[in-house]
Amino acid sequence: MMIGLLGLFVKLSLFSLIAFGGVNALLPTLYDISVNQEKWIDADTFIHYFAIAQAAPGPNLLTVTLIGWNAFGLTGALLATLAVCWPSCILIFYLQRVLTNLRHIRWKKTIEYSAGALAVGLVLASAWQIAERINGNAMAYALTIFSIVFVLVSRKHPLYLIGLGALLGILGFV
Amino acid sequence: MNHSSNRIVQQSPARLFITFTLIGLSGFGGVLPWARRTLVEQKQWLSSQEFNAILGLCQLVPGPNIVNLAVCVGQRFGGLRGAFAAVGGLMIAPMTVVILLALLYDHYGQFEQVQGMLRGISAVGVGLIAATGFKMLKEELSYRPMLIVIALSIVMATVFHLALGWVVALTLPLALLFAWNKAK
Repeated sequence: MMIGLLGLFVKLSLFSLIAFGGVNALLPTLYDISVNQEKWIDADTFIHYFAIAQAAPGPNLLTVTLIGWNAFGLTGALLATLAVCWPSCILIFYLQRVLTNLRHIRWKKTIEYSAGALAVGLVLASAWQIAERINGNAMAYALTIFSIVFVLVSRKHPLYLIGLGALLGILGFV
Repeated sequence: MNHSSNRIVQQSPARLFITFTLIGLSGFGGVLPWARRTLVEQKQWLSSQEFNAILGLCQLVPGPNIVNLAVCVGQRFGGLRGAFAAVGGLMIAPMTVVILLALLYDHYGQFEQVQGMLRGISAVGVGLIAATGFKMLKEELSYRPMLIVIALSIVMATVFHLALGWVVALTLPLALLFAWNKAK
């Protein structure tokens, strides 16, 4: 048990260190580690838990929480979450501190502007990729596009959209 | 951006914890849209440009971007304790919810309605992420050449399916060049 937990922690910490673009960007790698190599979870449960983590409120990395939960219960869930968070938390903490103390204004702005532009590209690209992965039919894509337009033109709370999506799904349209 | 460092109003760890708990709990289908909505549009702790810059920094580091964002915002407004408070707020409540949902799913997951509901919510969630991207894009319109970088990164990731590490590595030089001119 202890060895298993330690393995979970170490493997997921290493996974986190290569997870550029976030957990969803490296979902195939996560699948390979947890289903094929370590057998923390079987293939079907992995896919179902992924859907729950997507649909539930909270960060998408909750897929990892549920993998830990499936393998080692509550301790596993906590440890898996911690493992996937701590490496980048430390990196970003010091990176931001360096940037804050940077005296050269033009360099500072250059780093911020370029990072900002990269962020826009990666957000749009990951939305596209996730859509390809989870949207199963034309209705799902229509719902996605409707959501985009709704958010951009309306000031209403996006929870209405979540309700609409749930309703259409229950009725079997998506 | 020019006067940003002068107007950072420090926030208590409790306030950061609560703010990020609310962000985490409303984050259906990804937290990013709700983080932007709360931090930029509602509380106005960050300008649109600052949000893009911080998020960009978070994308440069491996690991869950939204947790990185919580560290950055927490640190900016409350130092080390603020960073812990923000990450704790972001994670604790959603972890509890998702584990409860997993328990429920064990009992009711086989029903087609439940699976349909999850699919419907996911489709909306993707739309929310994309809409956030478009809102962030508006900020970049002030300096058109940068749109080339954005278009390139999208094409590399979606058409050529390059890993995001590669996308960052390949677009970064051009992004730095344009940013250097924009920062003039």
